[in-house]
Amino acid sequence: MPAQDINALYAEIRKRMIETGEWNQIRAVLAAKLSETGWTDDLKHKSKESARHMDPLSFQALLDEASPRAYTSLPLAVKREITSLIRQILERQFE
Amino acid sequence: MANAASTCAHFAALLTDISSASAESPLEKYTSVISWNAHRSQTTRPTKRRKTAAPTCGTCDIALSRPLACLHCPYTGCWKDSHLRQHLISSSHQFGVEAKTGYVFCSECDDFIYNAKLEEIYLTTVVSTEEKLTKFKVSQKPRETYKAWTPSEKDLAALEDAESISCQGRRGLLNLGQTCFLNAVLQCLVHNPLLRNYFLSDKHNSKTCKVENCSCCEMDRLFAEIYSDDPAPYGPITFLATTWKASSSELSGYAQQDAHEFFMSTLNQIHLTSRGFTNVSCNCVMHSTFAGQLQSDVKCERCGNVTSTVDPMLDISLELKSKNGEINSSDNTLAACLRRYTLPEKLGQKEYSCVKCGKAAHEASKRLSIKKLPPVLSFQFKRFEHRTNDKSTAHKIEANIRFPATINMKPYSTLALQNSNGPAASTGYMGPDALYEYDLFAVICHEGAIDNGHYTNFARFEDEWYLFNDEKVTHSTLGACLASSAYMCFYVKRHLDYKPYMTPSYILARENEAAREKELEREKEREKEREKELEHAKEAARMKELEDDLLATV
Repeated sequence: MPAQDINALYAEIRKRMIETGEWNQIRAVLAAKLSETGWTDDLKHKSKESARHMDPLSFQALLDEASPRAYTSLPLAVKREITSLIRQILERQFE
Repeated sequence: MANAASTCAHFAALLTDISSASAESPLEKYTSVISWNAHRSQTTRPTKRRKTAAPTCGTCDIALSRPLACLHCPYTGCWKDSHLRQHLISSSHQFGVEAKTGYVFCSECDDFIYNAKLEEIYLTTVVSTEEKLTKFKVSQKPRETYKAWTPSEKDLAALEDAESISCQGRRGLLNLGQTCFLNAVLQCLVHNPLLRNYFLSDKHNSKTCKVENCSCCEMDRLFAEIYSDDPAPYGPITFLATTWKASSSELSGYAQQDAHEFFMSTLNQIHLTSRGFTNVSCNCVMHSTFAGQLQSDVKCERCGNVTSTVDPMLDISLELKSKNGEINSSDNTLAACLRRYTLPEKLGQKEYSCVKCGKAAHEASKRLSIKKLPPVLSFQFKRFEHRTNDKSTAHKIEANIRFPATINMKPYSTLALQNSNGPAASTGYMGPDALYEYDLFAVICHEGAIDNGHYTNFARFEDEWYLFNDEKVTHSTLGACLASSAYMCFYVKRHLDYKPYMTPSYILARENEAAREKELEREKEREKEREKELEHAKEAARMKELEDDLLATV
């Protein structure tokens, strides 16, 4: 499938999922799982301590610093569970 | 210039410009964006049919899950790839807002800004939106609207004469001899927002209370000491003495006590010395703060009949070991403990006989769930196991339990459980998520062996974490708190749901008494009046007789 069509398909699916509320449902499950593994609190703690000593303090700088670590420390189990949840929901959509 | 109220001079300038029309519409836009997001985030379940169209990015056209809105025009956009920033710059618009958090971005500062007024508007708008969407389940009445306190004439007059002192609000407690358990519990009570507000607003005045050995007064005195201008550590001697006098011999003396036992005993003592406490549905400060309800559903596996009982609860004690007596090390989290707590449990053959199908020795299962969530949730991890009743054979479970800074209690509530039993049992809308969100504010830690250990505690004060080790108070971090060996955790509900004010029963009783006495007085007066009239009537009758007799002789 050409890149353009993939982008268009993604935009369409994303729009549908946001409007039906499925997007938020997945997001809520993800947030709960990440919180339980301590990932969320770890991110909050490290960002706060980083911000305490940052001069000048800027949101973009904090985001740039936290993002790579946040992505690499995502627990594999959570990634797998959410991916399969997304797959389930997508399959339902295309029935 | 940055100051405590605002980090952005541009927004501060906008606010002072309130007289001109230019300030009105960005603030109005702000309020409506926050309100819109608070409203739409209260959906129940995803539907097949779409409810409303999602906002799209004005730059890249994609549907937005976390929209940022310009405060000066209808533009909405992504944060990614600087779409919003570029719009603000190219249209010479100054401010944009992130719909969920209410954070405002200033294009001049090129950063998200802090402004005290914005924080206030955000909170009042979100709470107001939530209030309109919550209905109390039992009374079906809408939630009471939150009203900020405004000082009355009397209050203002009192404040004028008041002397303000500089105080830290963080003060160490001296160890009076194996009393670290006392200090840890007291610090957790002092940093409890509901208790702090109650005692600092003078709701129980130890100077006018006439009760002897009043634990409630001791709490009031403790707050006065903590919030005094004396920074030196304070020795809670009178508190300890009152505890000894009030409780059984077990808790007296200088031996190390269990912090949880002391916590429950203190709660009870303060309840018993509160004005107008009752044995059922008490609304003393302790019950108002900690009391919730636990529902136990027993289901007969044969006929499906469910019997429910509701019991009051002041805290939740969590087992660390699963049914087979083992600790699952991969699942050592507060959420896992709560899941275990609310799991259906098979009852033994002889334990239950069904009322409906009438046969004994059936298969039945029991399930716990939280029917009413209290404003403050206290969790205890059952680390101390007593194999026999003899305390000397107890041993401590050292396993590290992971607990979060915030927890959503919805999955463990009775409503959620009922809804999960299928659409027929569903009770519909469960209220805004904020009513289920709890934030950690204190942790009691225990190190060492069961009877030879040491208690310390963490507490959150003005969004910073502190470690309290008897008289030593040190600034700490969220990370240090979450990594500690927790024994008890205290969480507070993010948004409180208020009921309409009801006059406390003891005041009503007092008023009824007074009314009755008045009635009695009036009755007595009437009696006297009647007697007088009777006398007059008798006199009159006698006079008449006399007259008649006299006339007869003429």
